[in-house]
Amino acid sequence: MLFNRYRRGLFITSFLAAPVILYLVYVISPYVQAFYIAMTDWRGVSATPNFIGLENFQRLLGDSVFWKAVTHNIALLVLLPVITIVIALFFAFLLNVGGRQGVSGIPGSGFYRVVFFFPQVLAVTIVAVLFQQVFRPDGSGMLNGPLMGLGLNPVGFLSDPDVAFWSVLGVLVWQAVGFYVVLFSAGLASIPKDMFEAAQIDGANRITLFFRVTLPLLWDTVQVAWVYLGILAMDVFAIVWVMTDQQGGPDWSTTVMAAEIYRNAFEYFRFGYASALGVVMFFFTVGFAVLSLRLSRRERIEY
Amino acid sequence: MASIVLTNVDKIYAGGVKAVNGLNLEIRDGEFMVLVGPSGCGKSTALRMIAGLEDISGGEISIGEKVVNHLPPKDRDIAMVFQNYALYPHMTVEENLAFGLKLRKMPKPEIQKRVGEAAKMLGLETYLKRKPAALSGGQRQRVAMGRAIVREPQAFLMDEPLSNLDAKLRVSMRASLNTLHERLGVTTVYVTHDQVEAMTLGDRVCVLRDGILQQVDTPQNLFDKPVNLFVAGFMGSPAMNFVTAELVRGDGGAAVTFADIKLSIPDSTFTDKPGLDQYVGKKIILGIRPSDFEDAGSAGNHANGWATLPVKVEVTEELGSEINVLFLIDAPPVEHKDTVAAADSGEDEEASLPLVGDKSLWTARVNARSHARSGQNLDLVVDTHNLHFFDSASGLAIGHEANR
Repeated sequence: MLFNRYRRGLFITSFLAAPVILYLVYVISPYVQAFYIAMTDWRGVSATPNFIGLENFQRLLGDSVFWKAVTHNIALLVLLPVITIVIALFFAFLLNVGGRQGVSGIPGSGFYRVVFFFPQVLAVTIVAVLFQQVFRPDGSGMLNGPLMGLGLNPVGFLSDPDVAFWSVLGVLVWQAVGFYVVLFSAGLASIPKDMFEAAQIDGANRITLFFRVTLPLLWDTVQVAWVYLGILAMDVFAIVWVMTDQQGGPDWSTTVMAAEIYRNAFEYFRFGYASALGVVMFFFTVGFAVLSLRLSRRERIEY
Repeated sequence: MASIVLTNVDKIYAGGVKAVNGLNLEIRDGEFMVLVGPSGCGKSTALRMIAGLEDISGGEISIGEKVVNHLPPKDRDIAMVFQNYALYPHMTVEENLAFGLKLRKMPKPEIQKRVGEAAKMLGLETYLKRKPAALSGGQRQRVAMGRAIVREPQAFLMDEPLSNLDAKLRVSMRASLNTLHERLGVTTVYVTHDQVEAMTLGDRVCVLRDGILQQVDTPQNLFDKPVNLFVAGFMGSPAMNFVTAELVRGDGGAAVTFADIKLSIPDSTFTDKPGLDQYVGKKIILGIRPSDFEDAGSAGNHANGWATLPVKVEVTEELGSEINVLFLIDAPPVEHKDTVAAADSGEDEEASLPLVGDKSLWTARVNARSHARSGQNLDLVVDTHNLHFFDSASGLAIGHEANR
C-alpha cells in the first residue's frame, strides 16, 4: 500500500519534472535575473556589472519617451479590446444568428468566415510590411491612391505624428478581429438554438435579440476576449517595430513599451536600464491581469 | 383566439427530403389539437412552420383568417413552449415572464398585472426572483408555460413540453395542462410522440406518418375506428394485436379463422362495415385490442355471446388494476409495413422476443381478479363486436367511412 503510493508519487513526479525544470530554467530564472540586472548599470560588456540600486528606476521616471510609450500602451489597452470586441461581436452575430429566417447566418456566411479569419494566419511581419504598402503616402498607396484620384490631399498614415498611432491601432484591430469572430462564433454555438427562437417568438427584432439575449449569454466569452486583447495591447511590438517609421516614430508617436525596451537593450546597449523598463512593464501586465480577473468574477450562466 | 388552417402545406428540405407532405388540417378556435406520430414524422416541423421558425415550401397557413406564410414569428401572435423550455438563463423568472411583454412596449402596470396573474395561476409566486438555474424541472416547465400565458396570444404552440419531466411529474403536469386549457380556452397545438399524452390531452388528435396525415379525430374515435393499420398499431397501449386471417361464411354465420382458431362475427359488423362482405373467402388482417379480451373466469355476464379463445399464458405483467397477459398465437407475425412502422416508433419499444419464432405474441388486458399465471392455460373471451379488419394489401381499415 505504502509502496504503491510511493510508486505513484514517483510516476507523477517523473512526468512533472521535465516541464517544471524547463519552466524554471527558461522562464522563472530570467525573470529573477532581470530584476537583478535592472539594479545594475550593465551594458553587456563587463563580466561583473556594477550594482547601482534603484538608480535606473529613478532615471526611468524622468524618461519622457518611455512614458509616451506607456500612454500609447494604455490607450491601446482601452481602445483595442473595445473596438475589436464590438466589431467581432457584430460579425459573429451576423454570421450565426442575424439571418433573415430562423436562427441562421446571413447569406454567404461560410465565405465571410474564411475571409475574416484570413488575417490571423498571416505572420505579423508580413502584415506589417503589407500595411506599409497600403499606407504609402504617394499615389501607389492603396488608401492614398483613391484619395488623390478624387483630388484630395494624401494622408500621411505613417508619416503624420497625429495619424500614425491610429494607423497602428487600425492594423492591430484588422488582424485581431478574425480570431475573435471565431471565438464568439464558438460561444454562440454553445447557446441552445431554441433560446433565440423563443426570443423571436417573444417579439425580439435583430437589435433586441443581440442586446437582450445574445450579449448577456455571451458575456463570459467577451470577458475572456477582453483579457486576451488587453494582454495583446500590453505587449505590442512587431507591428510597431516593422511597420512604423523609425521603429515607433515619427517623433515617438507610435512607440510602445516593448519597443523602448528593445531599443534600449539592443540599440543603445543599456541592458540594465532596459531590464528596469521590463520590470515596470511586468508590473503593468500583472496588474492588468489581476484587475481583470477580479472584475470579471461573476455568476456563471447555466442553461 | 383564432382558428389555424393549414392548406396543402409542404416542407421540403435541401436535398429533397419531404418532411411534411400536403398537410391539410383545420384547428378550430379554442381547440386542443395534438399532433402525434413517431419521430421523424414531421409533426415538429409542422408546428415550427405554424410558429414561423421554419419557412413553408408550399401551401398556405393562416391563423385567424390571416395568411401568415410570410410573417415573422413575432407578428403571428402565437406563443410557443419548447421541449427544453428555452428560458433565458440570465433573467429571473419574473423577467423571463415579462420579456415578451416588454418587447411589445406594454405599459408597466399591465405587465405586472399579467405576470402576477400567471404566476399565481401556476404557483410560481415564491420563485419570481430566482434564476432558472435555481429551479427544478417542473418549475422551469411552469415558467415556460407562464411565458406563453402572459402574452395572451391567439394560439399556444407546444413542442413536446412534458418530455423532459420524470414520469410522475408528467402525469400531474398533464392534468394541469388540461385544466389550464379549459380555463383559458386558447387554441392549442401540441406536439408529442407519446400516444398516451395525445389521448388524454387532445380534443382532437392528428396522427402523422412520414409527413403525411393519417387520421384526425377525437381520441375515442381514433381508438375505436382507426383508419389504417398504422393508426391502429400506433394508438393504444399495449398495441393492438394483429394476425392474418381468413374471412369465411358458413352455416353458423360469418367468422374469421387463423391458426386453428375460429371467431364468429356478429351480423351487425357487416352493416357497420360496408364492403366487408366482399372479403369473404379472402385473406384480411385482423386486429384485436388487448382491452377487448377478458378472462372467461372473471368476465361475468356481459361477456355473453363473446367468442372464447383458449390460450397458454407465456408472461403476465401485473399492473395492479389489471393484468397484461402475453400469449402466443400459432400464426406468423404480420409483416405489413404499417405495423412495423407503428411498432418501432413508440418509446416503450417492445423488444420482440427471439424465442417466439414464427408465432405472434399477443397481449390481452384482463381484470386483476383474474388469476392468470405464466405457464397456465387460460380461457380468454373476445368481444367480437370490436374486431378490426384491414385490407392485407393496402392496410386500410375495411368499411371505415374515410376509406369507402
